[in-house]
Amino acid sequence: ILSLQRVMKSIEFEQGWSVMETGVAKLSRILEELPEPPFLPEEYMNQYTTIYNMCIQKPPLDYSQQLYDKYSEVIATYNKDTVLPSLRNKFDEYMLKELVKRWGNNKVLVRWLSRFFDYLDRYYIPRRALPSLNVAGMKSFCDMVYQEVQSKAKDAVLALIHKEREGQQIDRALLKNVIDVYVGNGMGQMEKYEEDFESFFLEDTASYYSCKASKWIQGDSCPDYMLKSEECLKKEKERVSHYLHVATEPKLIEKVQNELLVVVAKRLIENENSGCRALLRDDKMGDLSRMYRLYHPILLGLDPVADLFKQHVTAEGNALIKQAADAATNQAASSGGVQVQDQVLIRKLIELHDKYMVYVEECFQQHSLFHKALKEAFEVFCNKPVAGASSAEILATYCDNILKKGGGTEKLRDEALEETLEKVVKLLVYISDKDLFAEFYRKKQARRLLFDRSGSEDLEKSILLKFKELLGGQFTSKMEGMVTDITLAKDNQISFEEYLSTNTNTKLGIDLTVTVLTTGFWPSYKTSDLNLPSEMVNCIEAFKAFYATKTKHRRLSWIYSLGTCHISGKFDQKTIELIVSTYQAAVLLLFNNTERLTYTEILEQLNLSHEDLVRLLHSLSCLKYKILTKEPMSRSISKTDTFEFNAKFTDKMRRIKVPLPPMDERKKVIEDVDKDRRYAIDAALVRIMKSRKVLGHQQLVSECVEHLSKMFKPDIKLIKKRIEDLISREYLERDSENPNNFKYLA
Amino acid sequence: MTKGAEKKQRKAKAVAEKKETTTTTTTMRETVKLISMEGFEFVIDREAAMVSHTIRSMLTSPGGFSESKDGVVTFPDISTPILEKICQYFYWSLQYSRGKETEFHIEPELTLELMMAANYLHT
Repeated sequence: ILSLQRVMKSIEFEQGWSVMETGVAKLSRILEELPEPPFLPEEYMNQYTTIYNMCIQKPPLDYSQQLYDKYSEVIATYNKDTVLPSLRNKFDEYMLKELVKRWGNNKVLVRWLSRFFDYLDRYYIPRRALPSLNVAGMKSFCDMVYQEVQSKAKDAVLALIHKEREGQQIDRALLKNVIDVYVGNGMGQMEKYEEDFESFFLEDTASYYSCKASKWIQGDSCPDYMLKSEECLKKEKERVSHYLHVATEPKLIEKVQNELLVVVAKRLIENENSGCRALLRDDKMGDLSRMYRLYHPILLGLDPVADLFKQHVTAEGNALIKQAADAATNQAASSGGVQVQDQVLIRKLIELHDKYMVYVEECFQQHSLFHKALKEAFEVFCNKPVAGASSAEILATYCDNILKKGGGTEKLRDEALEETLEKVVKLLVYISDKDLFAEFYRKKQARRLLFDRSGSEDLEKSILLKFKELLGGQFTSKMEGMVTDITLAKDNQISFEEYLSTNTNTKLGIDLTVTVLTTGFWPSYKTSDLNLPSEMVNCIEAFKAFYATKTKHRRLSWIYSLGTCHISGKFDQKTIELIVSTYQAAVLLLFNNTERLTYTEILEQLNLSHEDLVRLLHSLSCLKYKILTKEPMSRSISKTDTFEFNAKFTDKMRRIKVPLPPMDERKKVIEDVDKDRRYAIDAALVRIMKSRKVLGHQQLVSECVEHLSKMFKPDIKLIKKRIEDLISREYLERDSENPNNFKYLA
Repeated sequence: MTKGAEKKQRKAKAVAEKKETTTTTTTMRETVKLISMEGFEFVIDREAAMVSHTIRSMLTSPGGFSESKDGVVTFPDISTPILEKICQYFYWSLQYSRGKETEFHIEPELTLELMMAANYLHT
């Protein structure tokens, strides 16, 4: 029934279109802000229904296509007759305002018309794969209006931005809306915005800042320039948030950074008067922080800064080294003076490290580049010798001074000591010859432990823990063994004394304390064939018997050079207790039997080397305490001298220590370390070849260096020699085809 | 009016009033009035009416309607029984979308007209 009705009510095109025209006209008036009542629902439905009816009619009365064309026509006409003229007669900011208005209007126009013509969107348009009403409408504006004005609009916008950059206020909301026009006309893509606006904006920005940069770099100091740059970057970021599209920010910042910071980087950073060097020199941490902040986002921007930082620290370190060396040569006469300089140097190096670590942490935000720079700087001067002593030795002496009695332990409090030890260990990281340090440390530790000169057992253990944490258990195993030995020795002594008291037939006549050491842990000491005084021989035998009861499978080697004796010297004036080394005691006890002895006689009776005897006699007759008188009374020992017990000797103290100046162990330590290194290199080479089977020469050498780097920096020539040696010992062979390669021989 | 038509009118009103969930205290904007070709007025919830895309587009057009005029739409092409069925459909559709799955019964003689009306209203 209805279909009949419909047929009766078929609409002619002209008829239907005139209805639509009314609607369109009304819409235009509303958009032009003419007085016009808003659409009533009936009017709306009428528009919609008209289109609907015209489209559902059977062909040839199905007017879908004509209506679609008319839709586009309506919009195009409106743009041509109304929109464009209104824009053509305006300029600059007024033109922008009009554009924004027209853009808004267009959106309204398209939306309303789309709703009227909605039926087309449901069937006709998808079936023909035509652009939707919305797309067609927006495109019309884009092609007719946007295309014509976009370039002028862009110029107007850039002019306003320039104004704002020069400090004037502008209408930011307007700019934001204009930018929306560019973005909106991209129809979902950013192309229009990027090509028609952004690219020009970026270029304009670049030339603006290029100009500023050239001007400022002439006159401004580095800190001032940096402040200005920072301010500009901040303002540009704000600009984006106020009216530009967010995607522009990274591109904008890059351009600004490039002109203000990258192009002038060298001039700025290396400025003689106020650049990085000067800032470091004058401790301008704030300015350096700014420099870091500014160059951090720039690729490779921080490299020159880090480099200058490294140079500066290296120079400071070298200056300290030179200072110490100069002071040492000035005080070459008194050896005590050199010692003090060493210690002062270490303290100053620690201070230097603390100071610049703060820079790394605060100014440079813990950036790895700067950690590396600091490390490399310290590695340069921490490995320089001072007055003949290697840095390894100086540092070991420093530790010794803290740990021995009368050293740090009495002067500083526990926390301060712990802190100092921490810092010492930090310096150790920079020393490449760590094994050398270990050996010196071990020797001094041995002396502290054996002669009871250690200030605090806890500290001895504490520093070993720190070494272990940093350098691994292998580094500290021997040192820890030494500490354990001392503890065990004390228990052992108690058992020995019990043994003596229960075995009444062993009367020693002397109080004997023995410390048993595990050979591997302690530095190597040469045993000697000293002829002991008879009193002592008994003691040795007694202990041997005791020790045999404890264990059968160990051999005791006696190191008399490490012993201490307390002797009562019955001098004319008074009896004085002398604390001497065992060797010294052996010499003195000879005079119990004879008044005078010649050098040669003493030599024969004791079975010592010349070197040792000279030292001993010197300590007893030429230094502060002259227990023996020497003829002639010269200051040095000669083989023709004669010695006599000095009965006239006296001192205000009742007990004195007669020191025996230690032999210079430096040479021996270096020799021992060199020997160990040869073994270490051999072991590393074998280990590498065993796992790799075949390896090229260069690679083998470099891997070997890397393996050993934790403990020392091996000499390349030495490695090559060791390779040859291993070949001759048939651990390795040269590859017959490629003589540059080595093969592992199982 | 014939007895049949009277009956229909009363029924339509009853349906509309039964389904009217708004109280008299709410503003006019909560409801819309749909008028059939015979002049029958169906007052239904705005939410229900919006099931029709066409009605929804109209009601949400910018700058169109003032506060005082709530949506009053005349459908000169839709008969009363069809419009009544359509209103029922709106409410059934809302219920279905809330999870209540029931059947919507359509009298066979209404089918063609109902489909055409639904097409028109984009429902």
